[in-house]
This record gives sequence, structure tokens and C-alpha cells, in this order.
Amino acid sequence: MMTGSSLRWIDWKLAPGAMLRETAGRFCLLFLLGSFLLSMLLSGGMNRFLSGEWTVTAILRLPVSPAEGQGIAGKAAGLPAVRSAAYKDPEASWKEFLAAYPGLSTLRGPGGNPLPGYVEIRMRPDRFTEADIRAVEAILQPVPQVERILSGGEVLPRLLRARGWVNAALWAGFALLCAMSFLIFLLQEKARSSFLAADFDFLRERGVPVRSILVSRASGALLTGLLLSLAATGTAAFLLFFLEPRLPLLGRVIGPAAEIQTLPVFLPVVLFLFAAALVSGAASLLGWRAAQSRPK
Amino acid sequence: MIEAFRVGAVSRNGTLWDGLDLSVGDGEVCVVTGPPASGKTLLLRILRGDRRPDAGDVVAGGESLYRGNSGAARAFRAASGVVPESFPAVGGHAVRELFRLSSVAGAGISAKERKEREEELLSLMGLPGARDAGLSSLSVSERARVSLAVELFRGPQVLFADMLLHNAGGEWADLLGGLFRALAREGKTVLLAERTIPERWKTMGGGEGIVKGPFRLFRLAPKGEGP
Repeated sequence: MMTGSSLRWIDWKLAPGAMLRETAGRFCLLFLLGSFLLSMLLSGGMNRFLSGEWTVTAILRLPVSPAEGQGIAGKAAGLPAVRSAAYKDPEASWKEFLAAYPGLSTLRGPGGNPLPGYVEIRMRPDRFTEADIRAVEAILQPVPQVERILSGGEVLPRLLRARGWVNAALWAGFALLCAMSFLIFLLQEKARSSFLAADFDFLRERGVPVRSILVSRASGALLTGLLLSLAATGTAAFLLFFLEPRLPLLGRVIGPAAEIQTLPVFLPVVLFLFAAALVSGAASLLGWRAAQSRPK
Repeated sequence: MIEAFRVGAVSRNGTLWDGLDLSVGDGEVCVVTGPPASGKTLLLRILRGDRRPDAGDVVAGGESLYRGNSGAARAFRAASGVVPESFPAVGGHAVRELFRLSSVAGAGISAKERKEREEELLSLMGLPGARDAGLSSLSVSERARVSLAVELFRGPQVLFADMLLHNAGGEWADLLGGLFRALAREGKTVLLAERTIPERWKTMGGGEGIVKGPFRLFRLAPKGEGP
């Protein structure tokens, strides 16, 4: 009887050109999917961008010393939901004010700088939620040196709701792309199974069990799917590492490529690789079945 | 040994034959002849375990091909070769790719051995250097001979050939007769389905044959035993 391995790669032996074209196409699709997934996992959709742009500002009272300001910033930075907290002294506040409103320098009278210092707080992308922002507010508000906290007021809930919708739309786009890829894999498999039907009949008539052909081809497709998704996602990750220092915007919107090695990103990527392999194997089985059910 | 017991077959136009008994021993060359549309191809398929008869049973090597376990029928088909009447240009391949497909069906044939045997068999069939030819570029006779070479490549224990002599052409009858009798001497069984048997084959022990339903069955003596 014949060996399983020769049947596993039978499509490559019988139709190498078609297989090469299909594999190139699948690599492109998986690269697209892998890049999309990595971007979504690193950025959390809009989370990273918004958390980078949005700040919670703790305005300090006028007589607060720089040391006290630094201390409050340190306290804020130690909160688990906070990514960074920076103290800006009254002089820095004044410079920023003048940069924003150049014609108002006359406001600084003989009494000196009328602006207080403040602490600028940025939230972690994954903790950029209303509850976490309110929690930070609740901790800083009772501090005697803090006059008030600006965190967006009524705009914030609306912004977070809109962010939720955008994130859902992005994940839906990813799911749609996955479904389309599966459909393309399925159509490729069906077309190839039809094209090679006479070859498979040849083998079947010579005692090769149909089940062996079916299972071996599916296992070959599964293995190819795993290797292809690994190569495609690996290429996407490599490109991210390569482009990050050259395109700072990429780091701000998507996030640092080094985070790929963290468990919350790495684990879903590994699951994606196995899912891609399973989908390839399933497409092989279903494509064969669809080709067989066609009227001869 | 292949034995058919009370085999019957029905086509769309009614019963083709019924109650047919037939046996082909190991190391025998048998030719079944019959008029067009008498069901010769169907008979070969039934004897190969590829199509369940509408009545009766077929036993090969002591195992029923239809009522026993399916593994026995599959093993019998794996040990058989089949030269079909109309040879499909499988996937539009070249001759060498057909050999490759055949080697997939018969495990354990290395690439080197395959190439040597391909050349050898194609030369035997009068087609030296046809390895790279496209199947669609070959004549009916050439395709029939390529098809036979592809089957012999795996060294089947039983060879079924449908209209091979007819398709290969009269000039190949002597060579093929000698080849089949040589195979029979090695203990292999050859079963052919043809419209008529070449006159010269009747002198190889075929005689006038035995009437079996709508068919006539000729048994050729193994090489060296005939006239």
C-alpha cells in the first residue's frame, strides 16, 4: 500500500503550478490577516491612539512647590491604570499658554505668573475606561494641593462610546476578512479537487482508499496552513519591528512592536496560527466534498 | 483465482445477462469477447470489485469482493491493474506524470527506479522517448500502449484490459500476446475484454472459446505451453 506522506503532498506532485499560485495567494491573505491582528492586539483598536492623545489634568493650587508637584505626579504614576504622569511647573504652564494664545502676554502683570502648575496624566491603553478615569479622579481629588481635575467632563462618556463602536467595527472587519479568506480557500480547494478528480479516480480504481486520500490531503493542507500563517505573521511582525523606528506615527497608533512578546499579544497570535491551520484543513475537506457533490 | 457466481447485470434497457458463471485461474490469460453494448466493460468492472453486480457474487483469492469486508476488495484492486477502453487524458498530463501517479498508487518505487522502468516499459511498447510527450498528443494506439505500460509499471498481480488489442491495433497483437503469456508464466492473471480475438490467438490455445451468456471466453496457454 502507499505511504501517507506521498498522498499528503499529492496535490503538489500533480498540480505544482496551481499549488504555487494558490500558496502565494494564501500567503498574501494570511499576511494581511496577520498584520491586521497584530495591529489590533497591539493598539486595542482606538485605545492606544486615544490614550496617547487624551490626558487627565490635575490642576494644582498656586502656592504648591515643585517638590510637592513632583510628589503628586509620582503618586499618580504609581496608580495601576496610569501609564505616565508628569508635573508641569507654573512657568511651563505659562509657556504653553502663550504658545496657544500668543497675544495674551499682558496677562502676566507685576504680580508674576498667574497660572498654577499641573500634573498631566496619561492612562494605559487597556485601562482607558470611564471607571478607571473616575478612579484616578477619586484618588487625586482629596489631595489638598489639587485644586481640581479636568478629565473631559460630559464629552468623555460619548467619546468612549464612539471608541467602542469603532473598535467593534474594526474587529468585525477582521472577522469579515477571515470569513472571506476561508471562502477563498474553500473555492481554491474545490476547483483543485475538480481539476484533479480524474487523478483521484485513477488512484481509487487502483485500490487507494478515498478516506486515505481525503485525510492525507487535509493533513497536508493543515500543515501547509500552519507554516504559511507562521511565515506570513512572522513577516508582519518583522515589518513592524523594522518600520517602528522609521515611522514614529506607527508606534503611536499601533504601539511598540516589542509588546508582541507579551502574553496578551503572543497567545492570541499563536491561537490565530492554529486557527489558520485548522481552517486550511477544513477547507480541504469541504472543498473535496463540494467537488464530489457536483454533477458529473 | 477470480470466480464469478451466478452474476447478473441490469442496464437501463433491461437485463444484460444473468446467471453468469466464470472463473479465471492464477497465471491464466483469458479473453472475453462480445458484441458492442453486450456489457464487456461492465463485466470487467464487476470482476475487479468496482461495481456491485445486480445478482450473484465475485470471489477473488477466496474473499467475496461484495459481501466480505471492504478491505479485501480494496486490496484486490490495489494488486490489480486496469487499462480502460477510453483512456482519459488525466489532468492533461505528460506520460511521465502518469507514471508518477501510478507510482503513488504503488508504494515503494524510488524516483531512480521509476525512471529506469518507465524507459524500459515505454521501449517495450514501441514508444521509446515518449516520457515527455503530452497524452493528448498521442494516437489512440499510443495511448493504449502507454496505459498498459503505466499499469505494468506497478507489477500488478491481475491485469484487466478493456479493448486494448482493438485500440493498440492489429500490428501489436503478436507482441501483446507474447507479453501476456510471459506474464502468465510468472503467475500473473490477465483478463481482456475485446469484440473479437485475433485469429492467431486462436492457435495459442484459444480455440473457438466457450460461450458464457452473451460472451465467448478464450483461455490462452501460457508461453511455452501453447502451439
